[in-house]
Amino acid sequence: MRLESQAPRGDDATRRGLGQLALRFRVSGVVLFLVLLCVAFALLRPAFMTPGNLNAIISNAAILAIVAAAQAVVLITRNLDVSVGSMMGFAAYLTADFAAHHPGVGGALLLMPLLIGGALGAINGLLVAYGQVSPLIATLGTMSIYRGLTYVYAHGQEITSSRLPHWMNELPDMRIAGVPVLVLIAAALVCLLAAFLNFYSLGRRMYAIGSNVSASAFFGLRTKRIVLFAYTLGGVLCGLAGFLYAARVGTVTVVLASGWELTSLAAAVIGGVSVAGGSGNVIGAALGAVVLATIDNGLVLLGIPEFWRMFVQGSAIVLAATADVLIATQVRHSLRARRRLARTWS
Amino acid sequence: MIRRLPQWDLTLIALTIAAGAWSAYLSPYYLNIDQIAESTRQFVYPGILALGLAVVVILGEIDISLASTLAFGAVLFSKFSAFGAPLWVATPLVVAACAALGALNGVLVARLGLPSLAVTLGTMGAFRGLAFILGSEMGYTDFNDRYLFVGSEQAFGPVPASFVLFLAVAIGIGALTHWTVFGRRCYAIGLNKEASWAAGIDVARLKTQAYALAGALAGVAALVWIGQYGSARGDNADGAILFVVTAVVLGGVDINGGRGGILGVVLALFLLGTMRNGMGLANVPGPTQTIVLGALLIVGVLRPVIVQGLARVRRLAFSQPAVSSD
Repeated sequence: MRLESQAPRGDDATRRGLGQLALRFRVSGVVLFLVLLCVAFALLRPAFMTPGNLNAIISNAAILAIVAAAQAVVLITRNLDVSVGSMMGFAAYLTADFAAHHPGVGGALLLMPLLIGGALGAINGLLVAYGQVSPLIATLGTMSIYRGLTYVYAHGQEITSSRLPHWMNELPDMRIAGVPVLVLIAAALVCLLAAFLNFYSLGRRMYAIGSNVSASAFFGLRTKRIVLFAYTLGGVLCGLAGFLYAARVGTVTVVLASGWELTSLAAAVIGGVSVAGGSGNVIGAALGAVVLATIDNGLVLLGIPEFWRMFVQGSAIVLAATADVLIATQVRHSLRARRRLARTWS
Repeated sequence: MIRRLPQWDLTLIALTIAAGAWSAYLSPYYLNIDQIAESTRQFVYPGILALGLAVVVILGEIDISLASTLAFGAVLFSKFSAFGAPLWVATPLVVAACAALGALNGVLVARLGLPSLAVTLGTMGAFRGLAFILGSEMGYTDFNDRYLFVGSEQAFGPVPASFVLFLAVAIGIGALTHWTVFGRRCYAIGLNKEASWAAGIDVARLKTQAYALAGALAGVAALVWIGQYGSARGDNADGAILFVVTAVVLGGVDINGGRGGILGVVLALFLLGTMRNGMGLANVPGPTQTIVLGALLIVGVLRPVIVQGLARVRRLAFSQPAVSSD
């Protein structure tokens, strides 16, 4: 700090530029990384660039993108949800079980996973916002509770695709203008969420809380209520994602989507959503999901054993977190520089 | 001594006795010295991880990669066993390697200033991946008998050697946190990082040391693991971190750092072990046990809120000057 106040004023303008560049670079950095990744895989394996393969990648990424967006919404308020996989499994199993016992059920079925997911998310939110429980501990607890309840409910049974309604089985194969419906749903949801977070006051308030909870409270925001809302919204999205995932895999088991907490966090963090809250956006998180799906696909094409994936994913999280901290430092410097510039001008 | 025990520790002891009595009521096989001594095995390896995690949590950080470090240690042991190295050579090397992994976490958290949750979440995947890459997907079961001794044999009478090791580690870590400069500084950092830094404590170095210590203990736990299960594979102890975090939090260690003690963690492990043993004997299915574990974890963290609420009720009921109940 002392060093900096002695630095010549001429430096400030460049510092300011660097900070803004770094911020802008964060999301375009993901795109750049994605392009480089695709080029590398395409050079190594020509089969990578075929339309069929690219289609498979975005289909795989679609559901993960929704979950990553849900995770991002919670992360932006400086919280965390490691129960996303369990919420998906719980909502998917209950919905599939209901559908199996009521064969004639129509599209209204879609409401069920949304409500279940919302309720589970609200429990997380209540614990974190009103119970003052650390978000990691609270959701680690509910992660095992939700999964355990799914086991208890299922009694070791699984629901095969033949017992699910037809339209549910056909959903993942449906296409509009050649694009899979799942991808369209995910893209629409992510865009809506991004617009909500960017342009609506509630969305901006979520960023404010993530940046500084006590300042937001002093400013008059109802921080607890907004955190509860973020968790509930995340839960609704996870419920939907669980339903879509169940439709995609066909057979609904109790372990459905276990391990997704790590993958969704990886996607969000790689996409530039900071674990420290208040920065990043859902579009980045969705791009992070595409990056992960691309890496998965490429590793399979290259014939690299499946367990390298874990190593690559974990390292990617650490690298992305490092990048975020470096950028945050740069931004802090640039803000300070801007303040000083303003002072010299006035 | 009793007067110096905090109320929460007494509650844990009472709960443990209650859980034991309940187990004895549920199953006729419970009240048996051999059975109880044997059951202590179940919480030794997560217990050793919990002791390491407790130090990190007292510092105000978290490490959820410990179970993955254990898997890495177990696979490394299998390599030494396959190579024919004697145990006294293998153990220090494995523990040192695991300490290095822990130190890597520490450097990322303390020097680069990354959030500990993001770092250890990443290394949780990376270390487990490393264990798979180092070993093979098949796993390894042909351990040299000497390697298995700690985890599988009895020390004296019915008491397993691993339990003796656990008690030794617990006493060591307890002494370290409560009676040494290192330990007291950990509490100071956990309570107020900036003030500790201003008081001349090298915060980054101490944090790195604590992470390395937790990693080293994961290496020790790996030795127990291979003896107990006789196998080493990348997915060893997958999901054990829930039990470990539950023990630390239920033991009264404040997840925000600076509060709680090792005695509480040990008592919480006894409670969890008793419950698990009793539920196992009473044929309570695994998923139900997981639900109970998750609920206990949340109750453990809600404890301050509950205590506050009770205090308020008491104040209203007696309308006397409130006496702090914790």
